[in-house]
Formats: sequence, C-alpha cells, structure tokens
Amino acid sequence: MEVVLLALVTTIPIGLGATVAALSMRRISVSAIEGMTRQPEIAPQLFTAMLIGMALIEALCIYCLVVALMLAGNVGAA
Amino acid sequence: MEESVLEELMPYIVIGNLAIVAVVLVAGGRFLVRKHALTSDVPDSRQNVAEFIMNFFVGKARDMGDRDVVLKVAPFLATCFLFILICNLMGMIPIPVLNNPPTSYFSVPLGLALCAVGGTLVLSGVFNGLGGAVKHLFWPNPLQWISEITDVMSLSLRLFGNIGGEHMTLVLVTSSVAVGIPLILHVLGLIPAFVQALVFTLLTASFIANVVHKHEEHAEARAKADARTGVPAGVPEQTPPVVEGDPAVA
Repeated sequence: MEVVLLALVTTIPIGLGATVAALSMRRISVSAIEGMTRQPEIAPQLFTAMLIGMALIEALCIYCLVVALMLAGNVGAA
Repeated sequence: MEESVLEELMPYIVIGNLAIVAVVLVAGGRFLVRKHALTSDVPDSRQNVAEFIMNFFVGKARDMGDRDVVLKVAPFLATCFLFILICNLMGMIPIPVLNNPPTSYFSVPLGLALCAVGGTLVLSGVFNGLGGAVKHLFWPNPLQWISEITDVMSLSLRLFGNIGGEHMTLVLVTSSVAVGIPLILHVLGLIPAFVQALVFTLLTASFIANVVHKHEEHAEARAKADARTGVPAGVPEQTPPVVEGDPAVA
C-alpha cells in the first residue's frame, strides 16, 4: 500500500506540472503567433521573447521532474 | 554486469566526451577562420560560414552597447551556444560510449551555469568597476545577490532536465524497442538540443544586458554632463532634412 502511495506521489506532481506548463505555453505561443501574423517585421524579436518566456515556464516543469526523480529514488529504496 | 561497469566509468566517459567536444570546436574554429585568408572584401566560403554563425551573437551584443561591449560579449555568448549545442548533439551519434551527451549529467550543466553567471559578474566588474559590480549585488535590494544563486540553479536545472530527460527516455525506449521508434525520438531530440542551447545563451545575454545597461546609462549621463559644460560631444546630433512641398506627404 505504502509503495503504491509513494508511486502516486512521484507521478502526480510531474503530471500536474506538465499539464499546467503546457497550458501556459499554449497561451504564449498563441499570443506570439498572433503578434507575428499582425506584424511580420518584428517576428524575430517576438520569437526570441517567446523562447525566453517558454524557457522560464519550462523551468518550473523541470523542477517538478527533478523532485519526482528524487522521490522515485526513495521509492526504490523503500 | 556491463551496465555496472559503464556506470562506474561514467565520470571518465563524461570528461572524455567533453574533451572531444572541445577538440571538435577548436578544430572547427581553426578550419573556418584561417588568419591570413580573412578579408573584408569578398569572403570565401569558410569565412562566410564563420560570419554566418557569429552574426547572430554580434547582433545580440550590438543591442547592448558599443564596439567595446561587442568585442567582450559576443565571443562569450558564441562559446556558450556552440559548446552546449555540440554537447547536446553528442546524443545523436550512433556509437555506444560516445552517445552520452555530457549535458545529461548534472555536474556539467552546473559547471556551465556557474561559468555563465560568474562570467556575467566578471563582465560587470569590467564595465562598472569593482565597486559598481559589488554595488549591483546589494543595491537597490540588499538581497539582490540571491538572484545570482537562483540564476545558476534555474540555468543548470533547465539544461539538465531537458537533455537528461530526453536521454533517459531514449535509453528506456531503446532497451525495450531497439528498431524504428528510437529514430523518431532522435529526430524529436534535435529540437530541444538546439532550443536549450539557444535559451541558455539568450538568458545569459539578458543577464549581461542587465549589467551592461547600467554601464551605458553611466556613459550617457557623463556625455550629457559633458554637453552641459560645453565640452564637444563625440557625435553631433543630426536633424533629418525637412523637404518642403513633398508630393508624397501631400
């Protein structure tokens, strides 16, 4: 039972984190593409800004992954 | 058995792969830029490729400041980008020991992030003076220096998470299905390999821009003070010529 709970504890955070990050990234890319189609001449600047924003959001998801990996190591030990 | 031996040898493999990346970069640089063949006239194909690569970083650095800044910042950014890109692309090589990208072991991204943030601090010292660099860490917020630590953490964890996660997925899938599906994963892996190198470089560039911007503000303030005291400024202000009776305007 405890192992099952621990397994859930390791998998749920990364699932939630990935979901929320995906939703926010969708928002970013939609806005960036809208901006690019309206003003194609500033597309390169928008693209780099979009990449930085995505990287900052992605970092949160990566933190979830790291925590999940650390917990998964403990599940193996338990 | 073989797995555990590989696991034990992993630090040496990572160091060896890093050395290979360094050799590739140095040899490529020597190949592309032959000192005696450099010209500002019509460049040959190698110089063209080298200029194409450097153009992006020089453009990034040119947004920050003058020639002095470009000469110091552009090589730093280019080194970051090329080193991380080649490291990430090591995972695509179909040779057993070589296909461990060094960036998928946390020590390597951590070292790279320390270099990036440390380099930013050094550049801050170069442009603002030692006092300015130290002041930047404690002013206007006395806890400003914490952001340097979190910068290191976020840079290194992002790179490690992306490339390490990719590598881990690849290893797991290859161990169960060895043919076909890994090819798709390799192609998909090209995207984060490029994007993460770019993101690392862009974030480092924005850290540096923060630092250099202060330097530029000081320079502008000095120029304004000079103008007020009557000392001639370097470049005279130019007003655009006014064309009267322009038919395009009417």
